[in-house]
Amino acid sequence: MFPSNESFVGALQKKGVNRRRFIKFCAAMTATLALPPRYVAQVASALEKAKKPVLVWLQFQDCAGNSESILRSSHPSVLEVVLDLLSWEYHEIIMAGAGHQAEAALERVVKEEKGKYLAVVEGAIPLADDGVYCTVSGKTALDIARRVCSNAAATIAAGACAWDGGLVAAAPNPTGAVGISEAVPEAKVINLGGCPQNPANTAAVLVHYLTFGELPAVDQYNRPLFAYGRIIHDQCERRAHYDAGRYVQEWGDEGHRRGYCLYKMGCKGPQATYNCPSVRWNDGTSWPVKSGHGCIACASHRFWDTRSPFYDRLPSVPGFGADVTAGQIGMGVTAAVAGATIVHGIASAVRDRMRTPPGASTPPATRGPAEKN
Amino acid sequence: MSDLRAYAWSEAHKPDPASAPVRVYVWELPVRVSHWFIFLPIVVLSFTGYYMHNPFIVARSSTQFLMATMRFIHLVSGSVFIAAFILRMYWFFVGNHWSSWRSFWPIRRRQWRGMGNMVAYYSFLKKDLVHHVGHNALAAVTYLLMFTLMLIEIITGLTLYTHVRGPWLLAPLFSWIPRVIDIQNLRLIHFCIMFSFFAFVIHHVYSAVLVSWEERNGLIESIFTGYKFVPRDELEEESSWQGK
Repeated sequence: MFPSNESFVGALQKKGVNRRRFIKFCAAMTATLALPPRYVAQVASALEKAKKPVLVWLQFQDCAGNSESILRSSHPSVLEVVLDLLSWEYHEIIMAGAGHQAEAALERVVKEEKGKYLAVVEGAIPLADDGVYCTVSGKTALDIARRVCSNAAATIAAGACAWDGGLVAAAPNPTGAVGISEAVPEAKVINLGGCPQNPANTAAVLVHYLTFGELPAVDQYNRPLFAYGRIIHDQCERRAHYDAGRYVQEWGDEGHRRGYCLYKMGCKGPQATYNCPSVRWNDGTSWPVKSGHGCIACASHRFWDTRSPFYDRLPSVPGFGADVTAGQIGMGVTAAVAGATIVHGIASAVRDRMRTPPGASTPPATRGPAEKN
Repeated sequence: MSDLRAYAWSEAHKPDPASAPVRVYVWELPVRVSHWFIFLPIVVLSFTGYYMHNPFIVARSSTQFLMATMRFIHLVSGSVFIAAFILRMYWFFVGNHWSSWRSFWPIRRRQWRGMGNMVAYYSFLKKDLVHHVGHNALAAVTYLLMFTLMLIEIITGLTLYTHVRGPWLLAPLFSWIPRVIDIQNLRLIHFCIMFSFFAFVIHHVYSAVLVSWEERNGLIESIFTGYKFVPRDELEEESSWQGK
């Protein structure tokens, strides 16, 4: 890695990234941020002048999927440029140092770059039983997060687990896992939900920070609006099939082969906001719905609990089995009421026959709250 | 009048002459209009809404816009439903005695007694029905429950609409709700309440037929015409406590 006082352009040139590719990157970032093209020049000049900011990447209860996501790049592209943009001082799965050396590097950043460095958090933080379920070099995840994130200029919560606890915090959440905002309320956090988060969005947040000196506009969950502001369903290439009424009925059927809408297969596109359909994955090759699988709304709040079952339209009704749908219960209740009504009707007819016939000594039983029967 | 009496009262339920039926204007026009403009949209909303949940008709060509059309009809009939609901809520406060909110809330002892009577009648513990000019107390409470469920349908529906549409005039009223109750659970609530309407309609039509048959007062016709035929002594009995 390059010394942190070196300019970005110098670093790029050493790496053999020419100006044309650099401007292409700036244009791509401007588009991802949903900014008009005239901002390309501003982004480019800001990045040229930028000192490489220091970044530390913390991993807690995670699967390293977000690290994998940002490291996977088949040919030099956005990702490489982003990697070169920053001075990565600490990242457990890619750093050369280990043990005390590595921890000393982290401690040095926190002390010397206080208030200036960026922290990326991947994974949830367990709070149950004093946080014993996740420790690094004898310190709990909570202690590390408190020390590192509260001294950072900004913290990026990468992926679902760092945002809201993700899979780790899904019911029954045995380790009491929470996201970084809940664990360290004083940290300035921007949440990049998703399982994993899309590296293009991470890059765009960093570029925005370097260009404008502040984090992008966010929604109610502190997620950047440029990435989480639109419903997937509204950007989906299968949307025309949805409106037309053409749906995949079962996996591998004619409609599935023809690329019809996955709504009936439990696609949560209508319930999820993300820019997945436009930035896509694997260098913009594809995304889940394009490849024939419904969206599971991985960028939604607590999606493991709120968006499952992934292959049904609606959540399961509490108290019933997992494979009983709300529709079946509703139909059952309706049928039961209809059956009870028929039985009651017959019984009422029988009751009417049993009433006192006309001309008998008791008066006709018809009305009045003072009725004796 | 005498022809009418002969028609309306069978031999088994022949009234004594002192209580000859009187034609009473029970359901005012806004009550009847709101009744039907709540019922008809619910039929349409249930069909289109169930289709939106589970598109059971599959389009055969790309020129059809089945789901888009269903959603359009759902939104339009939803608006009609909301308008009728608002009209009925308004009439709670300006309508006559039988449509007033006072006759719905069980705030009097006699209403609780009336509920007990109805439960006893329905469960065959009591042979005969206590007659009412307007709603019986049990029906009134049931309608209150249905109005509440309708309100929940309206709120969840408008929240789902806001979720899809984004900013609009009333968005600030609903955009905060998905942060409290997840959008999928709102969908589940919106869907499940539909079945309570199904169950209610079955019971409602059945009990209307049953009570109309018991009371021989033109109850079924009254939701079209507004008039019921009430024995004089019953009317006097009711007007003696009305408004108290």
